[in-house]
Amino acid sequence: MSISMALFSPPFSSSSLQNPNLTPKISLSLSLLSTKRFSLLSVTRASSSDNGASTPDSAAVSATTVEIPKPVEEAPVKSPPAESSSAASEDGGEETDLPTTTTEIKFQDAKWVNGTWDLKQFEKDGKTDWDSVIVAEAKRRKWLEDNPETTTNAEPVLFDTSIIPWWAWMKRYHLPEAELLNGRAAMIGFFMAYFVDSLTGVGLVDQMGNFFCKTLLFVAVAGVLFIRKNEDFDKLKGLFEETTLYDKQWQAAWKEPESSSSSTVSSKK
Amino acid sequence: MSSFALKSFTGLRQSPTDQITLVSHVPSSLSLPHRRTSLRVTASRASPKLANRTLRVAVIGGGPAGGAAAETLAQGGVETILIERKMDNCKPCGGAIPLCMVGEFNLPLDIIDRRVTKMKMISPSNIAVDIGRTLKEHEYIGMVRREVLDQYLRERAEKSGATVINGLFLKMDLPEEWDSPYVLHYTEYDGKTGATGQKKTMEVDAVIGADGANSRVAKSIGAGDYDYAIAFQERIRIPDDKMTYYEDLAEMYVGDDVSPDFYGWVFPKCDHVAVGTGTVTHKGDIKKFQLATRNRAKDKILGGKIIRVEAHPIPEHPRPRRLSKRVALVGDAAGYVTKCSGEGIYFAAKSGRMCAEAIVEGSQNGKKMIDESDLRKYLEKWDKTYLPTYRVLDVLQKVFYRSNPAREAFVEMCGDEYVQKMTFDSYLYKRVAPGSPLEDLKLAVNTIGSVFRANALRREIEKLNV
Repeated sequence: MSISMALFSPPFSSSSLQNPNLTPKISLSLSLLSTKRFSLLSVTRASSSDNGASTPDSAAVSATTVEIPKPVEEAPVKSPPAESSSAASEDGGEETDLPTTTTEIKFQDAKWVNGTWDLKQFEKDGKTDWDSVIVAEAKRRKWLEDNPETTTNAEPVLFDTSIIPWWAWMKRYHLPEAELLNGRAAMIGFFMAYFVDSLTGVGLVDQMGNFFCKTLLFVAVAGVLFIRKNEDFDKLKGLFEETTLYDKQWQAAWKEPESSSSSTVSSKK
Repeated sequence: MSSFALKSFTGLRQSPTDQITLVSHVPSSLSLPHRRTSLRVTASRASPKLANRTLRVAVIGGGPAGGAAAETLAQGGVETILIERKMDNCKPCGGAIPLCMVGEFNLPLDIIDRRVTKMKMISPSNIAVDIGRTLKEHEYIGMVRREVLDQYLRERAEKSGATVINGLFLKMDLPEEWDSPYVLHYTEYDGKTGATGQKKTMEVDAVIGADGANSRVAKSIGAGDYDYAIAFQERIRIPDDKMTYYEDLAEMYVGDDVSPDFYGWVFPKCDHVAVGTGTVTHKGDIKKFQLATRNRAKDKILGGKIIRVEAHPIPEHPRPRRLSKRVALVGDAAGYVTKCSGEGIYFAAKSGRMCAEAIVEGSQNGKKMIDESDLRKYLEKWDKTYLPTYRVLDVLQKVFYRSNPAREAFVEMCGDEYVQKMTFDSYLYKRVAPGSPLEDLKLAVNTIGSVFRANALRREIEKLNV
């Protein structure tokens, strides 16, 4: 623990490459986890989970790891005005000129080279740190959402997210969520089994043989999977209506109403 | 009343086997609850022969739908009148026609200003993907000027025997009895600009409504309303060196800044580019979206001059009633614009032709009166041929245009060769090609992967927002 504290004292200095020292320490200090591969995962998960159940070790280390991937040198740079062409003269008063020269705020980053992320700059221990690539790309997209930029032929954007291997995505996004959902399902399952047992006296094994209980189980699993926030319930209803709306609109011509009312509600199928 | 008329004309029927058709012949796949009324509908096979005249059909609207319909009707021996309100109308339009339209409608190649063989899809984070590598030598998307195309189709209709009238359709009196004519009220312009024109009426047996998104014919028959998108477009003349980039390339921009439920585009026209965008849900913000589209293409249209600003509604789905007795709607008036791509020209022309073919067949080259069931055949054929296409495009729009992550995934998917091949095949030839199951499976996996990654990045962005 003292080792990680010592590392922690110089606050996020310079580049993201101080990780080579940190990684072996993480795996040693987090003896809870079996494999080294998942160390990075649990560290980042601990930082994102709100329950304060994480150990002080992982908390300290996670703070460091989250800070490090941040590209420190990212700052909006005002690039010189793009190609200045001569302003076309106005004639007739009907035609309006487009602005010919403007100062532009562009996305700039030391690691963003030639329209794609230079993976060599993300290396840590000789291997690419995919998590930092993902975070960098997310930052870029956020920047562009807030400041939409022109596309230019001089610097086309070529980055393709599929170069990040599938397991990096799994580790970062799918596994935490899967753990959460499994936890929920387990809790619901345990308490429902206890509840039904206390009410009816039917033990767990006998419950599984009953059709009604199996239905309840199915509903519980589906509910945990699809309804994760309160809004999801209405969203699902809206989605279902949406899928059938277009068909209804097409079949309306075949409804053959004698009155001229044009209701599109009743569907043919 | 109709059954009485049936008996009196039995002797004039061409084939005695028509007797059997008194049984309802509504297609079983689209069975209706009111079966009894359809008995009257099938009376058309025993419709009266028109004594010493041919069937008179009016086509309201002289765009691609009207022109194609009028030509087919005239060629089929039906007396056709085409009413168009503005002969030199430059309809605001993307102007893209698929390859099959050139062949099917025998369009001369000089109508096509440009052949687009490359497209660029640009995602919200400006990731650009080139599409078109899979196109063969002879395949392209044709860019036309609407005024040129419409005029050509109208002239061809006139050469085939249709009468083209420059007039504005006002309203239509529906017939009281089953064989009374429709009375059209219109204002005829006699060619002098600025003249108000004179009110006239005309009696016709059937009407094809091809008068576009704000169809008056549709209003007259109570066809109902549809949701529509506003397409806003600016025509910009850009310097020559920038124009060479757009020589045969069209661009599509997707993103929340450009449009919440559609896309922004830069399409090359004859000597300028058209930069535009559209939306259904946020029509009030269309100017903002247009500025954003121009901003995204800024470097490439730098130094350009806006020469024209135009906007037009685009229907999102068909009207509830696409025909009523002997009036049928085609083209934009019926709402035959696809989702996702917003393509309408080909479907307008094709529906005009299909409806006219149904009329020609039902009237046996203009000799007999037609009835609603003949026009229903056109609806059946249309729905059977093109409903899968519409459905697929609707699903694509629902899945891929709903949010920025979805759009990012969409653009990523477009980089895949198989996707490009399937997309172009279905767009250029208007057939939903089956493709190989293995590739489809790979495509499904890739799609899920792309969507997952894009959504994961969105969650990362949200974490950064905190």
